[in-house]
Amino acid sequence: MSKTANTALLARFIAIVGERNVLTDPADIAPHLEETRGLFHGDSPLVLKPGSAEEVSAIMKLATETGTVIVPQGGNTGHVGGQIPHDGAIVLSMARMNRIRDVDPAGGTITVESGVILQRLQEAANEAGLMFPLSLASEGTCQIGGNLSTNAGGTAVLAYGNTRQLCLGLEVVLPTGEIWNGLRRLKKDNTGYDLRDLFIGAEGTLGVITAAVMKLSPRPKSIQTVLAGVVDPDAALKLFRLAENTCGPALTGFEIMPRISLEFVLRHIEGARDPFDDAHPWYVLFEISSGQSEEAARGLMESLFEAANENGLIRDAVASETEAQRQSLWLLRESISASQKPEGGSIKHDVSVPVAKVPEFLEKADKAVRERIPGIRVVSFGHLGDGNIHYNLSQPVGADKAQYIARWREMNEIVHGIVLEMGGSISAEHGIGQLKRDELAAIRQPIEIELMRRIKMAFDPAGIMNLDKVVKV
Amino acid sequence: MKILVPVKRVVDYNVKIRVKPDGSGVELANVKMSMNPFDEIAVEEALRLKEAGKAEEVVVVSIGPAKAEETLRTALAMGADRAILIEAEGAVEPLAVAKLLKSVADEEKPELVILGKQAIDDDANQTGQMLGALLGWGQATFASKVELGDGKAEVTREIDGGLQTISVKLPAIVTTDLRLNEPRYASLPNIMKAKKKPLDKKSAADFGVDVSPRLEVLKTEEPEGRKAGVKVADVAELVDKLKNEAGVL
Repeated sequence: MSKTANTALLARFIAIVGERNVLTDPADIAPHLEETRGLFHGDSPLVLKPGSAEEVSAIMKLATETGTVIVPQGGNTGHVGGQIPHDGAIVLSMARMNRIRDVDPAGGTITVESGVILQRLQEAANEAGLMFPLSLASEGTCQIGGNLSTNAGGTAVLAYGNTRQLCLGLEVVLPTGEIWNGLRRLKKDNTGYDLRDLFIGAEGTLGVITAAVMKLSPRPKSIQTVLAGVVDPDAALKLFRLAENTCGPALTGFEIMPRISLEFVLRHIEGARDPFDDAHPWYVLFEISSGQSEEAARGLMESLFEAANENGLIRDAVASETEAQRQSLWLLRESISASQKPEGGSIKHDVSVPVAKVPEFLEKADKAVRERIPGIRVVSFGHLGDGNIHYNLSQPVGADKAQYIARWREMNEIVHGIVLEMGGSISAEHGIGQLKRDELAAIRQPIEIELMRRIKMAFDPAGIMNLDKVVKV
Repeated sequence: MKILVPVKRVVDYNVKIRVKPDGSGVELANVKMSMNPFDEIAVEEALRLKEAGKAEEVVVVSIGPAKAEETLRTALAMGADRAILIEAEGAVEPLAVAKLLKSVADEEKPELVILGKQAIDDDANQTGQMLGALLGWGQATFASKVELGDGKAEVTREIDGGLQTISVKLPAIVTTDLRLNEPRYASLPNIMKAKKKPLDKKSAADFGVDVSPRLEVLKTEEPEGRKAGVKVADVAELVDKLKNEAGVL
């Protein structure tokens, strides 16, 4: 659609959901055009807020008929610009589709519409005496549809898997307007191509997820949360291996963060405090869960501590005795992203390498980026247990922010070069969106990109579904 | 100086309380239990006084089920020196707790007893005051600052509309308010050490105190849910509703 929006066409879209459920004032639309990192600035004449799969279907039919690009948007917390519209595309906000359709404690499933906020889903699971394990820093804002479309990861992947592993069935509206009801609740179902898995992680380029059946887990009887100070990433890795050996599947989270991230958080986040008297070069935050009892979880924690102590792996460690303390420890990890903002420009990476290579990656990357920009502040933290590091680079103190941010691609090249050499991934859990699309095309085998294009064309022949995200057609 | 700190095992502050379907009380099965937050503050204050060289020994005591041993171990892991567990099943009312604590105080002869101002399960806010009366000691309740002087304690209290500073002769009772301090985490090395610290187990009968309840709980109910709000179109409608529906204007 041309930038000079066709008023008559927009009116047809508005008629589908009704005037109460659209945004047309630029001031109201503005929040849907900006993302948290300020890298992409969108442009759209209209935000539609459908209330049912049928309305989404009517919208998609009209879009295909008129060649109007539609960009689905959940909580707008994505980090790669997948949810940001350009060139007058219409935003499809899923916020109104926020009903929990069914909770099935006996079957351990919950059926939700895609606009349900992740935290609400977690609460609904809790109320049913179960747990929805997906957990990430933006859980108070992000929606399950966005989690599915990006195959979101977070802090519980180690034990429970990515969003993909938590999904049993989907309801999807195709770009053509057809509705696929795949809301199955089967753990095993080998009947032809797995359509569900195509839509998960497709970042809204193949269709609009309108509802999903998600898997619920038993709630642990006890969770022990420990923050330990360690000397370096190598000690953290050894501690992780030891924790896996000691705790087996009871190890349900293992995060790493450097001292500088704690300093940022202590400086900028209200209520944060250092649990230790002394500073430590690195920290690991881990959780041990038991389905049996508090004694069992504590027993594992204590055995692990004794073994770690014998090997000199831990400088110091604290355990949360209360839920409030547990939340305070997680605050130190979950608010790292927010605390980087007041420190100036931050060039981000979301990379993964084989778990055993994390220390080597950090050493090489640190050396390379510090050589390129002396004084650069490396804030490398993340899910050590998944080999997933958010390798973020804060500007040198006093540097010019805009000039620093202008070097985003240059720093990406350095870091991603090292990652690829080590057999890693340039997008571990955030996806491709607009940010990494061209880089993806450059690093994947031509046949892989070609297959992705063919899939895209098969689902979206008119080229209207979140066009030019992930792959260019 | 010896400081005695009574601690209570309660449902964790962050747990959403559920009433049992038969209304006989609060659901405790599979619920996370922790030290009463005000008691954590009391332990912390005692430890700080010890670290400042004002006290030599911190003794923690808990009255409750066998599992209250975990709560005492937490206090020991924070840094308390030794613990006393007085086993008593079921609900023990503040007066019975105060009587037991009096017996402990008679034996231990502390110069200061620091308690939480109330426990978050029954919110009674009685034990400290009753203990003060039974011992005949001065009491400084709702403390936000405690300073020990020669034979006395200067305590800043949180009262309606401000702060009040009083001086009490030792031995004395202090009950803690929220702003007194921020309790520390238990470090893993200290958790391991705490296992070897002395913990005496006794029973209420050892002290000859009758702990049977004097109150009978007839029924436990959840508070009524809040009604959903309504959106109004303009100020006129709002004023109309305030006048004619809510009757507050």
